[in-house]
Amino acid sequence: MSVAYTPVGWNANKIFYDVALGLAVAAYLWIFMAVAEGMAPGARFDDATIEMRAYGSCAFLMLSAILCIGPLARLDTRFLPVLYNRRHFGVMTCFVAIMHARHVIAWYFAFSPVDPYVALLSSNTSFARLAGFPFELLGVAALLVLTLLAATSHDFWLNFLTPPRWKALHMSIYAAYACVVAHVSLGALLTPQWQAMHVVMPACALTVVALHLAAAARQARLDRTATMANEAVGWIDVGEASGIADGRAIIVPLSDAESVAIFRNGDALGAIANACRHQNGPLGEGRIIDGCVTCPWHGFQYRLEDGCAPPPYTEKLATYNLRSANGWIQLDPRPNPPGTRVEPLHAPARP
Amino acid sequence: MAAIIVTACEVWLAIGLTVGLWFILAGIERIDPAARGAYAFRPLLLPGLALLWPFVVWRWRQLARSSGGRC
Repeated sequence: MSVAYTPVGWNANKIFYDVALGLAVAAYLWIFMAVAEGMAPGARFDDATIEMRAYGSCAFLMLSAILCIGPLARLDTRFLPVLYNRRHFGVMTCFVAIMHARHVIAWYFAFSPVDPYVALLSSNTSFARLAGFPFELLGVAALLVLTLLAATSHDFWLNFLTPPRWKALHMSIYAAYACVVAHVSLGALLTPQWQAMHVVMPACALTVVALHLAAAARQARLDRTATMANEAVGWIDVGEASGIADGRAIIVPLSDAESVAIFRNGDALGAIANACRHQNGPLGEGRIIDGCVTCPWHGFQYRLEDGCAPPPYTEKLATYNLRSANGWIQLDPRPNPPGTRVEPLHAPARP
Repeated sequence: MAAIIVTACEVWLAIGLTVGLWFILAGIERIDPAARGAYAFRPLLLPGLALLWPFVVWRWRQLARSSGGRC
């Protein structure tokens, strides 16, 4: 935000999220190591191999979960709490992936006559073969991307790189995931003893793809609605006032790049731009906390009546005018200048 | 070839750490008001500064020029 940077902007929600995530990771690793021999009937693995696979599979599952959170939250608002603080999820995933890499290097390359990293890059150069392909390099590429994303996750980088560049950089998470899928497919999946991964890996990858397609289809439907609404001149009918739950919003798309969040706070309705000034998070998928609209991504807050962040913050959003006609809410699609106070529209809450 | 790549990475990171330290000690306050008086978060930036140092130098110069010597 616009006040001095801190290492981590802790609050009760973030602490709970991080503790729960840390416990889940620890539980997964413990369970994996405890039952690993049961997952590989007929084969006995040494502890180092089990540990590297525990960390590797954990990182893969975490990365899959991260990529599912966005579309899930768009398809069902009950997943919004998981979206909150997703950045810490990503940083923790990077640390788990680094632990996997450390175990791999310690087990396979620590006693190499050459530098372990040189050995890692040069031990397998069978690029022409699918079976035996140097899948390690795909893992290195994915880890490099994950490290870069974790290293640039602080708010400073958003300001320094500018939001479009930061967003473009962090979209490389998809390239990292593709590398990880190939890394697992050409590595662990070629080991017949690890049968569970033969099911888990394709299931995760297909789930990620299916959820993104479903979310894209939903967005396309919303865009079509927006196009139809824009064909109307002047005020737009957006629905019945009683259709907005207290503390929540409906999102009204105006164009491909612009949408409006209409929130209810008790009997008062107000409309602000849907894109958070921080990282363009979808404010309309958030809720009202302590009287302020709260972004579901990182908790940035704005007053509903004027679109201003509460002091000492200085961010401002455009506001929009609402009116009531025959029990329907109507929206003026022309934005007011950011920070313009608009009297709330009084409408009875849902019974 | 692998040895050359590893050496190049080491040189890249060594330059990056030098640039990064210089930036967080002498440059960051001039281009970002939110960093003024804030010190605890700066070590968190070092890995990113080391990885992206050519871009950091370019952006640092760009922002310093646009500030018009105000700082």
